[in-house]
Amino acid sequence: MIGVGPAGPIVGATPEGAPGPAADGSSPRAQPRERGGWNTLELRDLDPMAERPFWVTLAQLPGVGPVGFARLLHRFGSTRAAWAAGAELLTVLPRVADDGNAALRRLRREGPPAVLARVERATRLAGGEVLTALDATYPRALAEIDPRPPVLYVAGDGDAFEAPGVAIVGTRRATGYGRACAADLGDELARAGVTVISGLALGIDGEAHAAAVAAGGRSIGVLPSPLDRVYPPRHRELARRMLASGGALVSELAAGQSTGRPDFARRNRIIAGLARAVVVVEAPDRSGALLTAAAAVDYGRDLHAVPGPIDAVASSGCNRLIADHLAALVTSSAALLHAVGARSGARPVSVATLSEAEGLVLGGLLRRSASIEELIGRTGLRTGVLASAVTLLEARGLVDNYGGATFHPTPAARRIGAAADRAR
Amino acid sequence: MLAETLSASILGVDGVPVRVEVDVAFGLPALTIVGLAGSQVQEARERVRSALRNSGFEVPARRITVNLAPADLPKDGTGYDLAIAVGILAASGQLPRHDHLSATALVGELALDGALRPVAGTMALAAAVRDAGVPEMIVPGGSVGEAATAGVRAYGAVTLGQAIRHLAGLEVMAPGPAELPASLPERAAGPDLAEVDGQQVARRALEIAVAGHHNLVLCGPPGIGKTLLLRSAAGLLPPLEDDEAVAVSRIYSVAGLLDRRTPLVRARPFRAPHHTISTQALVGGGPRVRPGEASLGHRGVLLLDETLQFRADALDALREPLESGSVTIARVEGALSLPARFTLLAGFNPCPCGWRGSPGRACTCEDAAARRYAARLSGPLRDRIDLWVTMAEPERQTTGIARGSRPPEGSNPVAARVAVAWRRQLDRQGRANAELPAPQFDEQHGFAASFLELLARRGRRFGLSPRRMHRTARVARTVADLEGEATVSALHLDEALRYRAVALP
Repeated sequence: MIGVGPAGPIVGATPEGAPGPAADGSSPRAQPRERGGWNTLELRDLDPMAERPFWVTLAQLPGVGPVGFARLLHRFGSTRAAWAAGAELLTVLPRVADDGNAALRRLRREGPPAVLARVERATRLAGGEVLTALDATYPRALAEIDPRPPVLYVAGDGDAFEAPGVAIVGTRRATGYGRACAADLGDELARAGVTVISGLALGIDGEAHAAAVAAGGRSIGVLPSPLDRVYPPRHRELARRMLASGGALVSELAAGQSTGRPDFARRNRIIAGLARAVVVVEAPDRSGALLTAAAAVDYGRDLHAVPGPIDAVASSGCNRLIADHLAALVTSSAALLHAVGARSGARPVSVATLSEAEGLVLGGLLRRSASIEELIGRTGLRTGVLASAVTLLEARGLVDNYGGATFHPTPAARRIGAAADRAR
Repeated sequence: MLAETLSASILGVDGVPVRVEVDVAFGLPALTIVGLAGSQVQEARERVRSALRNSGFEVPARRITVNLAPADLPKDGTGYDLAIAVGILAASGQLPRHDHLSATALVGELALDGALRPVAGTMALAAAVRDAGVPEMIVPGGSVGEAATAGVRAYGAVTLGQAIRHLAGLEVMAPGPAELPASLPERAAGPDLAEVDGQQVARRALEIAVAGHHNLVLCGPPGIGKTLLLRSAAGLLPPLEDDEAVAVSRIYSVAGLLDRRTPLVRARPFRAPHHTISTQALVGGGPRVRPGEASLGHRGVLLLDETLQFRADALDALREPLESGSVTIARVEGALSLPARFTLLAGFNPCPCGWRGSPGRACTCEDAAARRYAARLSGPLRDRIDLWVTMAEPERQTTGIARGSRPPEGSNPVAARVAVAWRRQLDRQGRANAELPAPQFDEQHGFAASFLELLARRGRRFGLSPRRMHRTARVARTVADLEGEATVSALHLDEALRYRAVALP
């Protein structure tokens, strides 16, 4: 449901009339932007190097999020001053739990330089670096949003943040349709030189990342977990491939911590913040992807949604975004490219010599995805012949069933289809 | 005086010859049975005493010692009663002629009035007797066919008295029929395939599985015909070959499941245990080792409907028989091997609520719960599945109800195609394609070099393990057999690959 943007205005009615979940533990809803917030801070006056140890140390306090951090800066002017204020700094942080005091004492014993060194070492071990909101290398897209993560832990190529990025998000319980759409969009965007941003989750996210990497493009994964514990573990290999192809991984949680649960809400806001536009590919009524959508509206990002059949539970959230005029309807990957202002990239010419059965099957699937059962009715071929043709198309990378009974054409197959249409 | 008679014991599904030594000596009247005799054997004292008295014989008021040799083999059951009774008569001089005793094995349980009752495993016992070079055997009247099937000259006695008169040469019985009696139903009963609407892919996979003895999984939401399809496999199985029939009948005999009128099982076994079954009942075991469902499905089908509801350890115990075709039961006295070469047919939902992956339906399962559920089919077990079909709810227009014209194919034509494919396998290699060893993937068996190259290429493309590739090649062989082709082609391989297992969700 579209709920409350973090420390922002209500952007959409909640379908059930229930209040949306507070996206961030440290962002009370009734916090008007004027009283706190990042946009009213004069960060340019602060010396990044002098602030860094205190900045990073205070970010380690449990319960201090982007909003609380901004409040500290408003109250004390700098993190160095806040640190010098001692336990008094906790008075501005009503949401810091009782153990905040104990944590503060522990950090104080260790001392900011040692804390910084420890965090930097752990982050380096995980292959990343520590970026504060004061650093010049802090992603520019995030430097506009409010609230903004005070510290980011980033692995991979920093250039990935310079290129325009589009976020592709959706449910973890994706259907074959959703996965096929995510792959199609990810492929098309990557070929057009657009960075594909997502949350590395199972389902839609993973499919979009994988398609972007396969197309040779850059992809940024925003983790709900620290860099040294990529979540979900099943996507560790995918994360490695993303890094290898010029992408990046971003986390708001410091590496080397023994505790800390994955924080999906904060992850989703960073995704929306990094992107120029957000596409929700498939989302049921209650989906984390809708939090990303809410954040996108809050940050003034373009929001797009892929529609689904009106009886498809998995697409009901997307359909509602469109019905409520919060998201633009995605009619095709080419239309999305146009909408985000990108030019269609070079398409490798796919030449495939297909047998008659394969041609029939692929032609049928390009018109509409189908199971073998349905193809029997459409093509009149025997089950065995169809099963064999589908496998061959699968081996050629032209169709995929994403583990289900229904087969979908892959991006490569769509290119063949488009080429055939042009030739006609 | 000393006497010796012959009997036999069951060890697993095999018989072991047992010598029954009886010594009647001076001393306080007593009847002692030694030789690791279990409680059922100990109770033979009372049965034998009464049966002898009520048959008009005398139980000598002496010290009687019975030894069952080999003495280190644990013995249980009631089949030694007859041998013990005859031994006592011989040792006490009530049986005038002894010479028959070394050439005749005796098996049967005694009733108190001297009547003979059948015992389980007579066929295996008779086989052991035959292998030990003993030409004749006296069994309870009803079991004579079972014993004769194993190839001994079997005499069926109704009472102890009749057995004694035969042994004494007073009233010689005629041996039971020596030829293999043909049992009537050659197929187990099951629902007809015509009852299943649509689901062409699952039907095709079932046909392939039954034809080549490949393990099959049907995975899909509830109510789409998984169970009906799997159960209808019973009506598709070709009858057992002669040697298979003997092996299967022996197992059924030991389990006490043999129909005594038709002691040779001709119908290919079709076992469908409920998912609450214990591990021991599934793979065999117990204090007196009994064949489990895996062995009862030997040379036939083991259907595990709602497979993931079975106990995890029970499912895991199937790994060994799925790979080696037998179950090994380890005992203090040594390991015992029971044959268990079955075709596994499995059917289950994709998640606890059943609707994961169905468009238009909301799965209500937590991701972790669904994953745990699917992981109940462990990796090693998953690796041994040859055919995997993900089924979906049929769309209205694809079901026969709406299509109206073409009714679903019934079981008979499918069974006929399966029988032809099975014959081709027997003629070519004498065994099912699923049992074809990888070194025999050669020209003689219809595998061209180009096929093996393609197999390797596809294996790399789809990330198949060598084991999976071998299994896929065997499935492709069966597809070719169903198509009536001597050579396995790329088309057959690609169809076989269509039914490869899917990864965890």
